[in-house]
Order: sequence, then structure tokens, then C-alpha cells
Amino acid sequence: MNTQLPPGLSDLERFADWMLPTSVERNSKRRGSSMDEINALYNALLPRLEEILAYLDQFSLEEMPQDAQRLLFLSLSLAEVSIAVELFHEPKVTGGCDPARFVVTRDLNP
Amino acid sequence: MKTVMANRRWIKENPDLGTGPVPTETCTSPELFELERDRIFRRAWLSMGREEDLPEPGSYVVRDLAIANTSVLLVRGKDRRIRAFHNVCVHRGNRLVDEEKGLCKGRFVCRFHSWAYDTAGQLTWVSDEANFYDIEKSALGLKPIAADLWEGFIFINLNPHPSETLAEYMAGMVPQIHGYPFDQQRLLCRYRVEEKANWKVILDAQNEVYHLPFLHITYPDFCPLNEQKFSRIQKFTRFGRHTAYSTELNPDHQMTPVESIAINVNPRGGQVHPSMIGWFDFYTVFPNFCMLFLAGTYVTYNIWPIAVDRSIWEISMYQPATSKPSERFAQEYNRCRLRDLLQEDASNHEAIQASLNSGALSHFQLQDEEIQIRHFHKEVRRHIFGEENGATATNNNRDAVELGLK
Repeated sequence: MNTQLPPGLSDLERFADWMLPTSVERNSKRRGSSMDEINALYNALLPRLEEILAYLDQFSLEEMPQDAQRLLFLSLSLAEVSIAVELFHEPKVTGGCDPARFVVTRDLNP
Repeated sequence: MKTVMANRRWIKENPDLGTGPVPTETCTSPELFELERDRIFRRAWLSMGREEDLPEPGSYVVRDLAIANTSVLLVRGKDRRIRAFHNVCVHRGNRLVDEEKGLCKGRFVCRFHSWAYDTAGQLTWVSDEANFYDIEKSALGLKPIAADLWEGFIFINLNPHPSETLAEYMAGMVPQIHGYPFDQQRLLCRYRVEEKANWKVILDAQNEVYHLPFLHITYPDFCPLNEQKFSRIQKFTRFGRHTAYSTELNPDHQMTPVESIAINVNPRGGQVHPSMIGWFDFYTVFPNFCMLFLAGTYVTYNIWPIAVDRSIWEISMYQPATSKPSERFAQEYNRCRLRDLLQEDASNHEAIQASLNSGALSHFQLQDEEIQIRHFHKEVRRHIFGEENGATATNNNRDAVELGLK
């Protein structure tokens, strides 16, 4: 699988397994990861998030080069894991129901 | 802030709702569930989704409604009109369409004997027609269900002769909501959550913010809190059988780092439309449809009863249409946070139902900030018992209603 990111961001390519196209996959990856793995992604991306979003905004969602799309998927994984880091301090929803019970029946993917 | 922090505000404006405890029996009694089926769900206008779910002529959706023991076919005809039918072939009753949604390019064909119908429900083909007796195709279309649109939402009414039009049913809410740009929003995602809980247990859990500071790690402080850190809504509004409660955004809300970036890159997501009452408006459209306006986005719930202690909670999240990656990021952030918040809520529903099933609790105790729930249960009881004073049903009165049914 090609994991190349746009120029200047190659150090983030080590998070290739977070470049997931759907919300369901990103949520499942969060739940299957340790807090160390989640924190590594969060700590690497958060300081550069505004820069990353500004870079992505050169493109429209409908016409993105592949490397920018992978960067978008990575940033969407940050949206997912940030809740674990900033609110729950654990991968799962503390005290939440079994997340498998929330079945996605419609999804608008990028 | 506009929010008044005083205690016992809403009962003063709504003395008719009373202050006593509210019976739990409608959440556990199979007999009362049958009354709800007949007197609420077979008579009320029921929300079935958005007109955008049926984008072009021939687009269709099939919804199985356990509460009405029927399957509903919604289809947009060549004339672009949306119609609803019982999903039943009129020949011998086979289920006509199996797919949950799709595009019918020609006709709906029953796989049993190939009877065919057009998208307006007309019977257009009967195989071996000459061998039937006195059959008149033009009089044998699909069995229609009353259907109409309100602000782009599709509603049906299973009563063959609805006592009110949809416009009349929704009338009270129109001056408030009319003009909300529903057409500029698109469905980001929909979740289906099957729960071992009565439909009202699920709805009640959403129909107040009293619980927010206690249950929710995700958003403990999003609505204003008084000095004791108890939540206070800004306004409670009644629209006949429907209600709305509204809150301001807590000016002391503590944003997380990613939340503040998400808000900065997506100012539209924070824009409150003039048709909104507060920063967050929660409408309960009787009986089982909720609309939640959260600044620039909205969410709907359709809570479908399956049995007295089983329901499907359907959650649809809408956000402004966008081609901009940074807005996409912010919308995904909102989606994840709200999904997690609702998973915090859902953890309680089945526990509550199990407790109610034990028979340990005959009544709910409700405070002033839960007046929406009081109103909702009063409406349910008024519909099933025909009482004016729904909160204080007597057994005599209920027996009379039940006898009347037999």
C-alpha cells in the first residue's frame, strides 16, 4: 500500500495504519489501540493540525491528490482519537454501551 | 446570559402539568403498549426521513414498522410526488419489495406471480389476466398510506382517514422553525441502535439536560450551570402535543485543544440560525421524532417501538454540505464526540428498563428541569386513555377504556 504523504510530512508516514477511509474503521482502530499508540498519534499530529488543514484546503474534497487524501484520513483519525485523549483518558467510552450496538446504516465518506 | 437560574420556574408557566410523580406503567405494560399501537402510532403523523432520501423519480425506501405490523414502501413517482404504500402485492399479499432502498427504473414486480405496479402504485400488469374473473386493474393499485411533507421531512399516517392534515398536526411549530435551511444540510451518517428498552425510556433520557453534569464526560458543561453546578435550560416551549427545550451555550464551557481548532476552521458549525430559540434546541415531535438543533448542525431521532421493552433508536446527523477538507475535519470531530456522548446515554437505557420490569418502581420522580418529560407522558396518557388530566389516571377510567376495546 502506498503510504506517501505530501512533501514535508514524511515523518508522519509511520502512522500509515491510521490512514483509514471510513469512520467505522477509524473508531474500530481507536478501540483496538493502546493509549500509548493513541497518544503517539495525537502528540505527533496536534501541533501540526492547523498547518495540515490549511494545506488540505488547497483542494476540494471531490478532487484531492492521493497523498493529500491519505493526509485527510490521518487527520480524521486524530478527530477520532482526540476524544479518547482529551476526555476519556482511555480508548473506549468510559461507562458507555457496547459500541458495536451503534450500527452505521448511512455514511457519507469523503 | 438569558438563562434564569432560579428554581421551579417552569411549573409557574405550566401549572396544568402538575407536580406529582409520573406512572411508569406505560413503559412495562403489554396491554398499554397495545393501546399505544392503536391510539398513538396508528393515528399520529410519523416521520419517515427526508425527501432527499428519495432524490429522483423511481427512488424508493422500504421501512418495516413493527409498531404498525406493516412494511411501508415510500417512492417518488415520475411526477416527482412522494407516495407511501403498504409494501404488499394486492394479489395474495406477498411482500412486494425486499430491498431496503433503491431506484425503480420501470415497475415493481412481485416475484410470486409477476404482478407489476408503477411508481404511482397503479397495477399495470397481471400475468394470465384473461384467466381471472371480472378483474379491474385500475381499481387494484397498491394500498395507499397518507403521506405528506413538512419542511422536507416525509411523514405518513396509518389512519386511512387522518383526523388532521400534517400541516394541522405541525401547525404550532411552524412559526418557530419555518425558514431553517434544512436543504443546505446533508446527511453525514445514520446509526441504528437496537435496545431492550421501551421507546419512551430512550426518549426521556434525551429529553432533559439535568443529567449532563453527572453522566457525561463528553460534555459535562455545555449548557449553563447554576452556582451549585446544576444545569438550567433557557426556555421550555409547548406547541400543542409537541415541545422544545432550549439551552444557551455555557460561556464557561472549557474547550479541548482539538475542539477549539475544529471550531476555528468551521465557523458555520457554530452559527445559530434566527429560527432557533437557543444555542441548542431539542424538539420532541409527538410521538417518536426528535429534532436537535446544535448551533449550525442538526440531528434527528426516530425511536421505533418493537415491543413494550424493545425499540430501535435511529440517529441521523446532518451537517452543512461542504467541499472543504478543514470543514470535513470539524464535522467528523462533531460526529465522533456526539456518537460517544450518545453511547454514554445508551448505557443507561437497558438498565432502566430492567429495573422497571422488576416492578420495583411504580412512579418516576420529576423535577422542574424535567418538565418536558412530564408533558410527554401526559400526552401519551391523554392519547391512550383519552383523559384530560393524563397525569392522574384512575384505574376505573382505564378499565373502561380497555373494556371499550373488547
